[in-house]
Amino acid sequence: MTVPAHKKTALIVHPDLNMLSKYQALLAAEQFTTMVARDLPTALMAITQHYFDVAIVSAQLGEPGDGWPLAGVIHLVFPKSYVGVLVPGADLLTLQAAINNGVQEVYESDRAPEAVVSSVFGSLKAGESKAKARARVQ
Amino acid sequence: MPKKPSLLIVDDEENVLFTLKLVLQEAGYEITTASSCSGALDLIHNAHRFDAILTDLCMEREDIGLELAHTASKLRPRPVIMIFTGYGSITNARGALDVPVDYFAMKPLDLDELKGALRRLLSARAATKRGRR
Repeated sequence: MTVPAHKKTALIVHPDLNMLSKYQALLAAEQFTTMVARDLPTALMAITQHYFDVAIVSAQLGEPGDGWPLAGVIHLVFPKSYVGVLVPGADLLTLQAAINNGVQEVYESDRAPEAVVSSVFGSLKAGESKAKARARVQ
Repeated sequence: MPKKPSLLIVDDEENVLFTLKLVLQEAGYEITTASSCSGALDLIHNAHRFDAILTDLCMEREDIGLELAHTASKLRPRPVIMIFTGYGSITNARGALDVPVDYFAMKPLDLDELKGALRRLLSARAATKRGRR
């Protein structure tokens, strides 16, 4: 897949095809080029070949919790990118895993993809505003 | 000789402060300590620069470590920020994610894990700085 240079890119990693297509459609509407993966090997291959501005990863791909190391790797490879993780519930250990893997936000799995994408874009816009303000100060 | 990374360790429990200082000094870091959030903020506001700040969460009052983390997150260059607590809760972990801090650990601390995470985070920070140049 060729990614045009001017378009922002997103990676969605989720075992459910239906969810992948919903997220892909929502991000396409926001002018994102989106790549999808249903498992770890496909996701890892994607991050070795492309840059991603945004990644939304399910915490549970094959086994419970196996999405976390992937989220950590994405943060390590693209430290300035936004990484969100879809989780069964936001308990203490989940929040700790999010912090320690460099994840920006966790979203409960039953939350509508529309709400998740809207929150991601809200955070991205807030981040851009902060960066602009910082640039003005400096 | 390359400059040692400098750490600020903040905890109101003397034995924790002493142990962390000893272990991390041994691991090759330059250590400054503070026994309260206000003491740590004084150091930061007096132009002391740290590569990483490791702080307890509950000191003068509950979750005050988040205030230190928040102030530290605005410093440029931004230090690595690590929080540890014996009183982890959804509320304070959510607060730490929102700052955002780089590492959140429960007491009793696994010192090997803490050292590994610190090394990894400092390396990642250095790599990001190199990439920016």
